[in-house]
Amino acid sequence: MANDILLKIEGLHASVEDKEILKGVDLTIRKGEIHAVMGPNGAGKSTLSAVLAGKPQFTVTAGSIELLGQDLLAMSPEERAWAGIFLSFQYPVEIPGVTITNFMKTAVNAHRAGKGLEPLKAGDFLKLMREKMAFVQMKPEFAKREVNVGFSGGEKKRNEIFQMAMLDPTLAILDETDSGLDVDALRIVANGVNALHTPEKAAIVITHYQRLLDYIVPDVVHVLKDGKIVKTAGRELVAEIEEKGYDNL
Amino acid sequence: MKDLLIHSGEVVHKVFVYGDTLPARIIVERDGRVDVVVLIMPGVSEDLKLDVELVGEGAEANIYGAYVCGADERVKIAVDMHHKVPHCNSRQLFKGVAGGSSRVDFYGKIIVAQDAQRTEAYQENHNILLSDNAKVDTKPQLEIYADDVKCSHGATIGRLNEEEQFYMRSRGITLEDAKVLQMISFIAPVLENIPEADREQLSVQFEDAIRNIVHNS
Repeated sequence: MANDILLKIEGLHASVEDKEILKGVDLTIRKGEIHAVMGPNGAGKSTLSAVLAGKPQFTVTAGSIELLGQDLLAMSPEERAWAGIFLSFQYPVEIPGVTITNFMKTAVNAHRAGKGLEPLKAGDFLKLMREKMAFVQMKPEFAKREVNVGFSGGEKKRNEIFQMAMLDPTLAILDETDSGLDVDALRIVANGVNALHTPEKAAIVITHYQRLLDYIVPDVVHVLKDGKIVKTAGRELVAEIEEKGYDNL
Repeated sequence: MKDLLIHSGEVVHKVFVYGDTLPARIIVERDGRVDVVVLIMPGVSEDLKLDVELVGEGAEANIYGAYVCGADERVKIAVDMHHKVPHCNSRQLFKGVAGGSSRVDFYGKIIVAQDAQRTEAYQENHNILLSDNAKVDTKPQLEIYADDVKCSHGATIGRLNEEEQFYMRSRGITLEDAKVLQMISFIAPVLENIPEADREQLSVQFEDAIRNIVHNS
């Protein structure tokens, strides 16, 4: 069925500083699916996530991306967020001087404004924050901390999933979310992602290793190599990669 | 312009906004303390000279300044901090944003006299350039004649961080709001020193002014 397509990428080429990184990526994601994008370092995995989120430093030179039939490439990063895209960063950015509360309040109300809604009442906002922080086991005092400043690797990734829970995206892109996580933090993050998943949504899990995919089980697995998807299969491909490595696929 | 004299043991907290006349000299006597906050809003050209003299042991002076320029303002700030006797502390923190075709000049000098031992004196000036046509010139200087002192100065001129902006935008925050948040958080360490009674109102004024500059740039 064509109408259950959530994301359609066709012939995507993208460059950074005149160096071509993505060299013709095709990818179709249906509602309810979790896709894993695996690949060696330098294959273009992070570029794919950055291009989906609209990072200005990347230039799309050919191809198209449609999210629920809308032309994603015509939208600014914030418009993409309003349309339902969320990128969990491999390296979450520190924003000195801006508290998590202020950051999330601005973000939530921007989403609401994008949908023509009034800002959330202060009390309702704080209640939502408390609930979602508890969901990823973040201590309440983090509400007053500056965004990611002085956070451990695990705290940064939990903060990403907290933000994801607050914004409730249609398409979550997790870029190397497992890097720098111990097993407990990995489990909290993965449980969070699984709990937020519904048949109406989709997720792209970008990772180098099998580890995260033991917790977030993909429906489809792609191997990205030298800017192209060279292999697509079911979840059994994860074990094959673990056994043979990327070079022998 | 008159001198402002801080008497022995006295504590004075002053905020100067556009239009207020600064004292020609601030003189702080033994164990006196003065906190001064200078605020320069957009549209205001200023030529500020501030001369602070710490003349009694245990005297302390904290000078904070924020400026926001979005058009063709000319802001000139010159601070001379004189440590004349031992055991005095001073701190200067000036932060500002220069956009449009504005021009900011900052000259800050710490002068420590020969017998002003055990002086602690710090000075910082940090700037954000919003446009290629704006110009900031910062010249922090130390003149130290004593040998047992702790003094430092630092100055930076930078631009708004684009990684931060993309992170915020990926959460749905508009580019305009992202810039406003960045600038407010940059100026905040100065605004924190406004006495509580006026802080909220003046902070809102700054936020509105910053929002206007971002909106019109």
